[in-house]
Amino acid sequence: MKLYIEIAGKVRAVDYTPGESTIMLDDEVMKVHAQWLRPGVLSLIVDGRAWRVVLDENANEPAVYIGSERIVYGVDDPRSLKARRARAAGTDGPRTIKASMPGRVVRILAEKDQQVEAHQGVVVIEAMKMQNELKAPKSGRVTELRVAPGDTVAAGDVLAVIE
Amino acid sequence: MPYNSDLLTNTHPRPFRKILIANRGEIALRIARACREMGIPFATVYSDADRAALHVLESDEAHRLGPAPATESYLRGDLLLDIARNVGADAIHPGYGFLSENADFAETCEQAEIKFIGPPSAAMRALGSKTRARQAADKAGMPRTPGSTTGLASLQQAVDLASEIGYPVMLKAAAGGGGKGMRAVTRPEDLRSAFETAQSEAERAFGSNEVYIEKLIERPRHIEIQVLADEHGHCIYLGERECSVQRRHQKVIEEAPSAVIKADLRRQIGEAAVRLAKSAGYTNAGTVEFLLDDEDRFYFLEVNTRLQVEHPVTELVTGLDLVQLQIRIAQGEPLPIAQDDVRLRGHAIECRIYAEDPDNGFFPSPGKITRLLQPGGPGVREDSGIYEGWTVPMDYDPMLSKLIAYAPTRGDAIARMLRALDEYVICGIRTNLGLFRRILNDPDFQAARIDTGYLDRLLADAHHESPPERCDDQRTLATIAAAVLESHRTTAAPAAAQPTSAWKRAAREEGLRR
Repeated sequence: MKLYIEIAGKVRAVDYTPGESTIMLDDEVMKVHAQWLRPGVLSLIVDGRAWRVVLDENANEPAVYIGSERIVYGVDDPRSLKARRARAAGTDGPRTIKASMPGRVVRILAEKDQQVEAHQGVVVIEAMKMQNELKAPKSGRVTELRVAPGDTVAAGDVLAVIE
Repeated sequence: MPYNSDLLTNTHPRPFRKILIANRGEIALRIARACREMGIPFATVYSDADRAALHVLESDEAHRLGPAPATESYLRGDLLLDIARNVGADAIHPGYGFLSENADFAETCEQAEIKFIGPPSAAMRALGSKTRARQAADKAGMPRTPGSTTGLASLQQAVDLASEIGYPVMLKAAAGGGGKGMRAVTRPEDLRSAFETAQSEAERAFGSNEVYIEKLIERPRHIEIQVLADEHGHCIYLGERECSVQRRHQKVIEEAPSAVIKADLRRQIGEAAVRLAKSAGYTNAGTVEFLLDDEDRFYFLEVNTRLQVEHPVTELVTGLDLVQLQIRIAQGEPLPIAQDDVRLRGHAIECRIYAEDPDNGFFPSPGKITRLLQPGGPGVREDSGIYEGWTVPMDYDPMLSKLIAYAPTRGDAIARMLRALDEYVICGIRTNLGLFRRILNDPDFQAARIDTGYLDRLLADAHHESPPERCDDQRTLATIAAAVLESHRTTAAPAAAQPTSAWKRAAREEGLRR
């Protein structure tokens, strides 16, 4: 099956079917042997070189550890990758404030319908005795506040919407 | 690892019936292991957030303390004493943090005739307050930074003292720790506001606004001496640790011995530490901290009246088991070794692995550890409180484990640590593992050109701020790896993804045939 993998802005086409002994990377054919050690941990031998690969399915982004190096990747077809990036970069339309880490909400710094400036603090979450102020990604009106002080949040949870 | 076999053959005059371990995580497990090796029964405790923590799973006996917040669990001295009485424990090991330096708790234990494995409460009081410790240092004839030995009565006193000892100066909370209630002042005009903020910060953090003033030592190294004292008047020092690699006053890497301490200086500082401990009636394990300036002058800083996080580096270079020795001292045994028996051999380095996100200002990163590959091999020790599948709670300190490398020389120990770090993978949460690679590869660290501001300068260095350039090779491989992982995911090939599922598949096929 053909997939498009994006790493650090570079998209490459990869054709591979589980169980096969070759992989096609753009126009290059490489010998590959994949051995699962346990879910998410893979021994990969590519043209004779052996690597240990560990999948880090973190909440926000897929990533692999190649040895000790953590590399974030995207998977998609190139058109929708571009479209997604364009959406993310745009300042039009509603934007969300997401919890970057699991934690507990300790304070809300803005009220619903309040006008906030870009980079103004909106929600403060606390984990392991440290507080982190989450800021508005753009100027606008707080149309939604989905959490209250005392709430426990998971990484990636939407806390507020700015429009 | 060298080990003094005499330590294992000594008989216990008053062995404990049972030890209650009043802590959590890696240090609770560390103490449990010592108890098990000594054949002493032990019980552990847990909060609701720690029911599945490793220290509980590795216990024969575990008791619930209370809800997750430390103030309702691990800091509840009354509950701990109740549990100790109920389970027939005649000793409590407090570990580090929580109640370990709480003299009131130690005193309550003394009154309840439950042995607190640590110094007597009177010695804790004499050395626990930084101003009282400075007075004790004067009495023991130990050099300290110029400045006051009592709390400042007024701003005017601060102004007078500052001009006497000369700027820059430090204002510090007498009850302080962890960098709170601390202010550096370089100009007289800043003294007033620094004095006021230090006072209010100290009041909030420690419930006491006592602040003292001392001369600021520029670019000091943090050197500390491990002391051990029994209850029969013997006290020895076990060499030094260097803990100069700190981020915002929190230790990140510790090593033993220090690359810059010569035998003469070691003896000088060590003997000063022993004098101080003896003068305060100190017993059990303790650490005397010093600052060392670039002309080899040392200044007393403070005393930690407990076992330190970084005790393993001393264990490795001395061949001693500090936790076992703590227990034996508390049982009333005399120290099994004299000062002349203490030999330092090799070099040990410890990295404190934290659940924190280096890409997000080192903000804590609790959560589920989805995958864990731990290092091993020669000279590698991991004191850890984690396992694959465990959810790191958000309620406590973010330290996950301590990785310690031991080798004949400092250079070998650095190479060994880098090798161990390469074997270590923690997924699901973010960790500071990458930070250690950067430090250990840094020429300044390798040349031991470090001081307490070293790491903050390294991190502020924008030049290194961008992620390391990855070789094409690695990016290509990551692309292939991602494709392999994703193709398995999308085709949902359970046979390949899960080694155990051949049985399930067989069962499923069996089911289909029927």
